[in-house]
Amino acid sequence: MPLSTQSQTGGDNYVLVASLDNVRNLSNILKAITFKDHAIFNATPNGLKVTVEDSKCLQANAFIQAEIFQEFTIREDSVGFQVNLTVLLDCLTIFGGSTVPGVATALRMCYNGYGYPLTLFLEEGGVVTVCKINTQEPEEPIDFEFCSTNVTNKVILQSESLKEAFSELDMTSEVLQITMSPSQPYFRLSTFGNSGNAHYDYPKDSDMMELFQCTKTQTNRYKMSLLKPSTKALALSCKVSVRTDCRGFLSLQYLVRNDDGQICFVEYYCCPDEEVEED
Amino acid sequence: MKCVIERNGVKVFGKAVHALARIGDELWLDPMMKGLAMRSVNSAHSAYACFLFSPLFFQHYSPDTGPAQDCGTVKCKLVMKSVLPLFRCLATIERNVDSCQISINLPDNRVIFQFHCRHGITKTHNLGFQESEALQAVFPSHLCPNVLKAQPRLLGDMVMHFPVSQEEITLSMSPLRVNLKSYYEDESDQMKAMHTEMSLDPSEFDYFQVGVDSDITFCLKELRGLLSFAESHGLPVSAHFGAAGKPVAFSVDDMVLEASVVLATLVNPESRTPSQATEAQAPAALR
Repeated sequence: MPLSTQSQTGGDNYVLVASLDNVRNLSNILKAITFKDHAIFNATPNGLKVTVEDSKCLQANAFIQAEIFQEFTIREDSVGFQVNLTVLLDCLTIFGGSTVPGVATALRMCYNGYGYPLTLFLEEGGVVTVCKINTQEPEEPIDFEFCSTNVTNKVILQSESLKEAFSELDMTSEVLQITMSPSQPYFRLSTFGNSGNAHYDYPKDSDMMELFQCTKTQTNRYKMSLLKPSTKALALSCKVSVRTDCRGFLSLQYLVRNDDGQICFVEYYCCPDEEVEED
Repeated sequence: MKCVIERNGVKVFGKAVHALARIGDELWLDPMMKGLAMRSVNSAHSAYACFLFSPLFFQHYSPDTGPAQDCGTVKCKLVMKSVLPLFRCLATIERNVDSCQISINLPDNRVIFQFHCRHGITKTHNLGFQESEALQAVFPSHLCPNVLKAQPRLLGDMVMHFPVSQEEITLSMSPLRVNLKSYYEDESDQMKAMHTEMSLDPSEFDYFQVGVDSDITFCLKELRGLLSFAESHGLPVSAHFGAAGKPVAFSVDDMVLEASVVLATLVNPESRTPSQATEAQAPAALR
């Protein structure tokens, strides 16, 4: 149900207007990257990119293409701002999180530019809520300089097989070690906890392995505390690509289908914890 | 030691671990010629459990650690908190696990649990262990005057009426009736709590032998694991006991495994010191 433009927002002064018939198509994907309070929003004619960072070592990005929105109008090449993501999510889910068939909460998100708050109109069953969230100057997201040409190893797995592994990971281990190799064990997740170590091995010919492109044996460790939030994105996704580059930087890309079956992406970049001798 | 458990057996093995986890914080693994024994005891030594899996339970079973090991087999003591998570979700195990291999790596002091799962996935857990003396309680159940044997469903139905928080219950046996009732140590607890009592006719039991009228009070919480195991396996449960103060042994068995839980009973309902479950052990039981 379309929401009429309200003059209280300054009417035609918006630089960005985005509307969704079902706010869950935005809120669900944002939940997958909510591990810190603040998020950097960047809107371009292609769509919306939301970035969350942790201690300069981890970056999560959620991409919601313009096509996902029922209306996506942008008056500049790039619109950026920073908001408190927790507050934003609380507003997006203000009518409650539960799904009742046939009932959806509609969203109209308006931004008038630098200095203005982010205005949200949410409507469900004829009840309208208006939220105004203060915005801040957007920080520049870290450029991890992760490019496809430097990728040494890449696999694409069906998420189902990884979900179980991630839920079982020994949390007393400070690191998650990822080994990727053209030979045994091919793809291995390892933990080193109080009771001992554990290895999860995925062979290259497993039917869960959709793509296996490993050029050289690499073993890298990543702080468990940094990677644990990615479990939320994994839970939403149907496929995940795992890539490492020559420096050992990790890229996790999740393919997420929203309520309407449309595709969105979430990606995580993580720095390696320490240099590990390559086999 | 090296053994392989195939698909259905892994779930049974996992259920045994769950039952043992109700007893104590440590798990003893004792590979013997007659099978693999898993044991646990609580810190007060008032509850002891043992699950013995015969070689027939396994797809493959070899108790020896290898020709280099001169004293035959090794006994390992593992931390329960390390083992239980491996078998935490039995439904997932049933769905995903094709087989489980357990082996003991003596030089590294590791017990290796390796799960071969669907889609070619392998999960390997290397757990540290302490070499240990055998833990064994010798309880001459054949000398007990009172014996009850019941279908697991009957016992499950009985204990279901007691709240999960109920610590101890009293079992009273006479030639005419078997009574179960909740037990409270403190006078003040007695006033505040809900009391449950039930009475059964001897005909409800598969086997009923009363040598001496007795009332035994023991910890129900520690027994629930075995009852749950028995129910999931459809195995009748036997109880061997005597007068108050002597331990009570609950046991199940089938062709490939036997399990028992030995619990201390209160010397008399007013007493606060339960007897030792391992009181009756002969020195020869410890190596």
